[in-house]
Amino acid sequence: MLGLWRAWSARTYGENMRDSHVHLSDRELLLAADNELIRGRSAQAQAHLNACPACRERLREVEALLEDVSVLHRSSLDPLIQDAADGRARLKVRLHELSGKSSKASWSAPEYAAAIRPRVAYACAALFIAAVTILAMHERPRRITGAVIAASVAPAPVPERRLTPGVARPVTSQEICRLPSEGNNADVPPMVRRAVFQEYGIANGRPEDYEVDYLISPTLGGTASMGNLWPEPYSAVWNAHVKDALENRLHELVCDGHVPLATAQRDISTDWISAYKKYFGSDRPLSGGDVIKDSRPEPNS
Amino acid sequence: MSMDARNPAISLPFPAADTAEAALSTSEVESEVINLFDHFRNRLLRYVLSFGIPVHDGEEIIQEVFLSLFKHLRRGKSRRNLAGWVFRVAHNLALKQRIVNQKSKETVALESNTIDRHLDPGPNPEQQMASGQRQDRLFSALRALPEQDQRCLFLRAEGLRYREIAGVLGMSLGAVSISIARSLARLERADIR
Repeated sequence: MLGLWRAWSARTYGENMRDSHVHLSDRELLLAADNELIRGRSAQAQAHLNACPACRERLREVEALLEDVSVLHRSSLDPLIQDAADGRARLKVRLHELSGKSSKASWSAPEYAAAIRPRVAYACAALFIAAVTILAMHERPRRITGAVIAASVAPAPVPERRLTPGVARPVTSQEICRLPSEGNNADVPPMVRRAVFQEYGIANGRPEDYEVDYLISPTLGGTASMGNLWPEPYSAVWNAHVKDALENRLHELVCDGHVPLATAQRDISTDWISAYKKYFGSDRPLSGGDVIKDSRPEPNS
Repeated sequence: MSMDARNPAISLPFPAADTAEAALSTSEVESEVINLFDHFRNRLLRYVLSFGIPVHDGEEIIQEVFLSLFKHLRRGKSRRNLAGWVFRVAHNLALKQRIVNQKSKETVALESNTIDRHLDPGPNPEQQMASGQRQDRLFSALRALPEQDQRCLFLRAEGLRYREIAGVLGMSLGAVSISIARSLARLERADIR
């Protein structure tokens, strides 16, 4: 293969095929594969290819390399791509608006939700600003402002549903029960981690502060897409280790036939803290005691 | 071996007419645009993200692409090569967005360690490691190519014909073939090192 490549690399890429004894250049092979050579040249190229094992081998190499590039391109970006359902619903609503249609009677629930979401967000933002403004005029403005700032930067133990609704692949309980209940959550690649932090507006997310966690764990069929990942703080009482315990419990309950897989996926993605309380029968995290209060790993560990 | 069979051109979910001689109602155009969204969304989003822009900006660009397509079709404009059309609009919007984000320093650096090794597993750990090293080499060589050469390869990876790539990037067909042949030579040099 190396010798063959050297023979080809010695050629000029734009070289024309002067007669049928000269090999096809890479450029001609590429154009011929798309049927883009001019008619006479195309027939000549096909005839040469039929008769020349070296050119056929070279064509296979070129195609294999292009396929390798495609695989690299897809595999480096696919983890960032979320399910299309939300974007599709949003587009339908915007197309309706663009068409000047006012009737919402035919909208489905997700479409309607997508339609009102920005308006609700704007209304909430306006109300919030108004409330903060009124409070700021109160007699103790510094304390109030400080409280507002503290609330806005405190890490949340639950994901934003808008960003992380939870995404699961089509899988049966039999398939997931072949997996061990623990230790099956693959590490999230650094670039995806950064993208998750970026989506959540966390400027400098440190590994010792957050675990980029799967909302629906892979042991319950969750995927590594952006719609299923969020930065889960270690510092909260309801932290990543507590959620791990819930994931293990749900995996066991599903595999023992006590809970349907779809129910487990829905419960953990809708509100995992409520799911914990439901499946452990406790309003507080059960295990770990002090560890659960602040279970951040040592920075150098 | 016929070369026609290897053509990776994107097939549309419906027969694309040359012109809009059959005037469609607004509802029909809406439904056509939604069909096209279903067909192209992931490929367009992947291409847009290859510019290094954040996912939320990429999703917004995809919305803009299909809103523009809706206006384009509703005005009765040409339906010839809609695949090239949506990629060209997405390309231009992504370029603009990247400039905006560069001013505010909001870009995503693409790295080889994001490559999902599970896509190309070897039968044993040694082969997996060798495969991973080769992917790293190829990825580094790919990202070191001139921007225009990378664009050509990424558009090809998304299934566009060379003629469509030329239309998206505003190049001649010959220039696209030269770019890809040159890139392949560079990638092969990186591969055999």
